[in-house]
Amino acid sequence: MLAELDPLLHSQLRLGVMSLLMSVESAEFTFLKEKTNSTAGNLSVQLDKLSEAGYINIEKSFKGKKPLTTCKITKKGMKAFEEYVNALKQYIKP
Amino acid sequence: MYRKWLYMETKQDNLNPQQSLELIATMINQVKGNMLNGSFYFLLWGWVITFCNVGMYYFFKYTEYQNYAPIVWTLCIPAWIITMIYSSRQEKKAGVVTHLDRISMWLWIGLAITIFPSWIFGAQTNWMVNAIVLMPVGLATFLSGIIVRFRPLILGGITFWIAGTLCYLVGPIEQYLVGAIAMVFGYLVPGYMLKKSNQ
Repeated sequence: MLAELDPLLHSQLRLGVMSLLMSVESAEFTFLKEKTNSTAGNLSVQLDKLSEAGYINIEKSFKGKKPLTTCKITKKGMKAFEEYVNALKQYIKP
Repeated sequence: MYRKWLYMETKQDNLNPQQSLELIATMINQVKGNMLNGSFYFLLWGWVITFCNVGMYYFFKYTEYQNYAPIVWTLCIPAWIITMIYSSRQEKKAGVVTHLDRISMWLWIGLAITIFPSWIFGAQTNWMVNAIVLMPVGLATFLSGIIVRFRPLILGGITFWIAGTLCYLVGPIEQYLVGAIAMVFGYLVPGYMLKKSNQ
């Protein structure tokens, strides 16, 4: 029986963000926005969903006078991502 | 292609498994080659340590103020402050810190910790600092070359290993000259080449 794909990750923008965060230590909001070519509003909503699920940590600070949002993947997020990729493999197997 | 996918970001269930894997691969590729430019550090430290070595050689060889010679190493203090400010600014500017950036940072902090006692207790080793310091410097430079995949830095690391060994064979004063030459070929030449390749 095929494993169910995590609905939280099975969305283009959230999966894109998680893939980026899996590859780095931390990334700023602007970096994620640029790499995923998303709008600030939508990215912000999707980041909140990932954060509420405990998949990422969002840290808000200031860079000079400008607000700075930095995101990091959590252990729970890494595990969910790995499980998602393993489930994907089952679907792709001939 | 990922742009097209992400424009459809609100439609959540149109991803098939193949597309999901391709999206993951595309995103991971986005991060590749995002390492921070390290040429600044090699040039800064290359010039500082070359100057310190030449200074030590000059004091010991041509002056009577040999006791004051180690004072030249205090130049490393502002160099460290500049390094810390610059690296913090670079990280903020890049907007992203990769695992290799983190490894690289700890490699150089680890090097500083490793060689710090040889500066503090330099008098006890008759200031044979280069013989002790150049080997771990070679290791850090060599590994940095591997991390950023830049052959001149790898060769720079090997230069330090050869120079470090040579320091045991020459006199205590001449080892400063060996150290200065090693810095030119180990840090400055690869540093300028790295700077050019990043432009």
